[in-house]
Amino acid sequence: MSVRVVNLEFAYPKFSLHVGGLTFEKSKVTAIVGPNGAGKTTFLKCVGAVLPIPKGSLFIEGRDLASLRSRERARLICYVPQEHDTTFNYTVSDFVLMGRAAFVSPFALPSREDTEAAAAALDFVGLAGYADRSISELSSGERRLVLIARALAQQSDILLMDEPTTFLDPKHEAEIFQLIRKLADERAKTILVTLHSLEMAVQHSDQMVFMKRGEVVAHGKSAEVFEDSLLERVYDMKMKIIEWEGRKIVLR
Amino acid sequence: MRLGRLRWIAAAPLALCVGALFSGQGRTIKDSLGRTVDIPQRVERILSLQPEITRILAALGVTDRLVGLDYFIGREDHLFKVLFPGGTGLPVVSRPDESVNKEFILRLNPDLIFASPTELQVPDSIQSSLGIPVAALASLGSFEGLLREIELVGALTGSTERAGELERYFRRRLESISETAAQSAATERPTAYLAFWSSLLRTPVSYEPIEAAGGRNVAGRLLPPHLGTIGTVITIEQIIKWDPDFILVQGSFLPGERRVTVEGVLGDKRLASLKAVKEKRIRYTLGFWYWWDPAGVLVETLYLAKLFHPERFTGFDLEREGNSIYEVFYRKQGIFTELMKALDFREWTDE
Amino acid sequence: MSGLTNSRSRGLAVFLLVLPLVLFLLSLSIGTYGIPPRGLLKTVLSVVSPASQPDVPAAYRDILLRIRLPRVLLAMAVGAALSVSGASLQALFKNPLVNEYILGISSGAAFGAALSLVFLGRAFPPQIAGFVFAVAAVGAVLLISGQAESHFITLLLTGIIVTAFFSALLSLVEFFASPYVLQALFFWLMGSLSLASWKDLYISLPLIAAGLFVLYLLRWRLNVLSMSEEEARSLGVNVRREKILVIGAATLITAAATAIVGIIGWLGFIVPHLVRMMFGADNRRVVPLSAALGASLMLVADDIIRGASAFEIPIGILTSLVGIPVFLILLKKTRKVWL
Repeated sequence: MSVRVVNLEFAYPKFSLHVGGLTFEKSKVTAIVGPNGAGKTTFLKCVGAVLPIPKGSLFIEGRDLASLRSRERARLICYVPQEHDTTFNYTVSDFVLMGRAAFVSPFALPSREDTEAAAAALDFVGLAGYADRSISELSSGERRLVLIARALAQQSDILLMDEPTTFLDPKHEAEIFQLIRKLADERAKTILVTLHSLEMAVQHSDQMVFMKRGEVVAHGKSAEVFEDSLLERVYDMKMKIIEWEGRKIVLR
Repeated sequence: MRLGRLRWIAAAPLALCVGALFSGQGRTIKDSLGRTVDIPQRVERILSLQPEITRILAALGVTDRLVGLDYFIGREDHLFKVLFPGGTGLPVVSRPDESVNKEFILRLNPDLIFASPTELQVPDSIQSSLGIPVAALASLGSFEGLLREIELVGALTGSTERAGELERYFRRRLESISETAAQSAATERPTAYLAFWSSLLRTPVSYEPIEAAGGRNVAGRLLPPHLGTIGTVITIEQIIKWDPDFILVQGSFLPGERRVTVEGVLGDKRLASLKAVKEKRIRYTLGFWYWWDPAGVLVETLYLAKLFHPERFTGFDLEREGNSIYEVFYRKQGIFTELMKALDFREWTDE
Repeated sequence: MSGLTNSRSRGLAVFLLVLPLVLFLLSLSIGTYGIPPRGLLKTVLSVVSPASQPDVPAAYRDILLRIRLPRVLLAMAVGAALSVSGASLQALFKNPLVNEYILGISSGAAFGAALSLVFLGRAFPPQIAGFVFAVAAVGAVLLISGQAESHFITLLLTGIIVTAFFSALLSLVEFFASPYVLQALFFWLMGSLSLASWKDLYISLPLIAAGLFVLYLLRWRLNVLSMSEEEARSLGVNVRREKILVIGAATLITAAATAIVGIIGWLGFIVPHLVRMMFGADNRRVVPLSAALGASLMLVADDIIRGASAFEIPIGILTSLVGIPVFLILLKKTRKVWL
């Protein structure tokens, strides 16, 4: 599913976002990077309609996102937050099952189809045996995987992930990226991720979008757009990109 | 009956002990809260925040010394306006929740304040901030207590003769009622349940008029007497279990304000099996009405005696007796008739 | 939730669901007017076929049908209502410290009842005004906290403020009340089932049943609504609409219960916790089991009151005395505060 951002505007009291002229294609992973306060999370939340957007800003396969009803929208696009705070100690399977909310009417219970979709999602992220554990027992890496599993259970073709790897150790980080790649390749999903790590971003994404102060500074294929002068412009400090064994490393 | 009389004396509250020390400077008393209060010899300006005491003052004939009244007597007591028409001109010093305006009291400059013993802080706080003696008194539902109160107030206001007169009259009439009514053995006394104004389930555990009238209060053994007068709440099954011969409903409030009514009790299907309901032996009685009215409680006892033992009171005109009792106390005629009209106690005057 | 195996917890769940029925039958035999078990049985039979039991005393029938039956039904209804309401609001507000009175229902109801007792006198039973103002308080909270994007913290804060406002109004009304009226008011405020009569039940039971039914249907949805607002929205839920639905149903049942029996605290807070401790946080279980446990606790508390003495002790006191030790015992056993 492709996402076309025509003219997205959102304003907080002291910050405003203006993004336009972007398209995200299926089977592609796009990394959204930029300094703190650039508006990456805000942008993601707007695309996911978690924040309210006016009509005419965003189109999914030609349909205006703002005019869709919640359930329809959820079946198309899913926003995965960075963290989930555990007020209530649900089991992993109950938690993932919540991803089926868009398919279950408010007054009904999930059907067998829903439970199976949830189980399959859990299996895809490699946590099949964790079904009866409680959320609070999981490590933060495992919890991220469960969040992704829930997003998978939702079966939306567009996934928006907010900093999925921040605070994770390298091993878990790698796992998550593998998963993201798998989702894009095997399930043809359109994936947007916000990342802090430039190196991870350039290594694992197909496209990159650079944001600064609420606006898009540059975007394009990761391999092409990633260069020193752009980094300096975006981050206001001198950086040097060096290549080593096919990988790009940023020196500051 | 001797046992009956002993019970009244035994039931007198620990509350009221009069230790009067006569000195040139006045006297010291102990009030119902156990506080020791020094009263000056001359008490010319009296503020009464206790309706029962106000009525006693009216009976003693010293209402000219009143400088102020409490909320109930001033605004809600339908009878007091008849007893003491001049009272409408007096300022009302307390509020419905029994709190007072201290500055107002200061301006009125009373020599003595009578308060109700419902809360310890109020008398203490008034006395300590204003320096005026406050005596918290109440009969607490006991005849002895009421009589001692009359004696004490009489002594404090220098109307001991009149107080003695009233006391003797009260005792005499009470004894004559009891002698006639209370002759029977315990098993012959009809049982009665008294319900408070606010709820059928609320009953004052100790209510002496019932015993004095030759009846038995079914709730009498629930709690020790000095706890029970404000009333305790019981289950409705308990009332059915007791199956009293009479059900009395406190009716001293105006008909429009009553929450429990005779009709209500008669119509309550849960009580249908009670003999009092089947035989329609449900009556209004005066009960507590911002404490007691000494004349009223005497008339009430008379009425109850006639109710419980009608065969011993034939040819007895309650209306005439009632008026005469009120006349002795308040030196006015026809008060009882007026009260019965206001409260719509037709059965009191028709029988 | 680790700790209870699946079959054990299923057995426990069945036990809890059956418990109210058992207690119901038991409760009918408890009361100040002792009716022996045979007498009770005969009375029940005489209701079904009067001809077969001619010698059943009228008192037995009156007590069973007019006093105990409505009271026991009311106890179950109120216990279930307050518990489910508490559970739903705890989920909705994502806060385990929430109870069913959080949106101002208790102080609104108290103010309404006081207003009615003091100024409207006998003409108006306090139940009606209590209900009206309970609903008004919640309405005020929803109105003040505003639009679709209001966060739950705002709702909570507004609830606290509205509660405080109605409490102040209550104090003002009490100021004008004579001690006699205050007596009636305080008894109501302490919470008592003694006022239960069929007339009250005809109105309140359907309301409670309706609200409970709605919340029962929403039980899985509550899981989703217990996520953060962002997550819930992302999961495809119309948060504003469903939030109002849950609050509406919870308010309806709490206001209906409170209007009749007064304020019975602690139940809506403790029962959902107990259930979560035993069965985990999934609301598909928490909702029905809270209803069952709440009904059972109320029955037990009321049985104690009716059976122990002739006095009509306010039940609010007892629900705390019964519920809190149970809560503490379970807390110790599971060793976690987490739900």
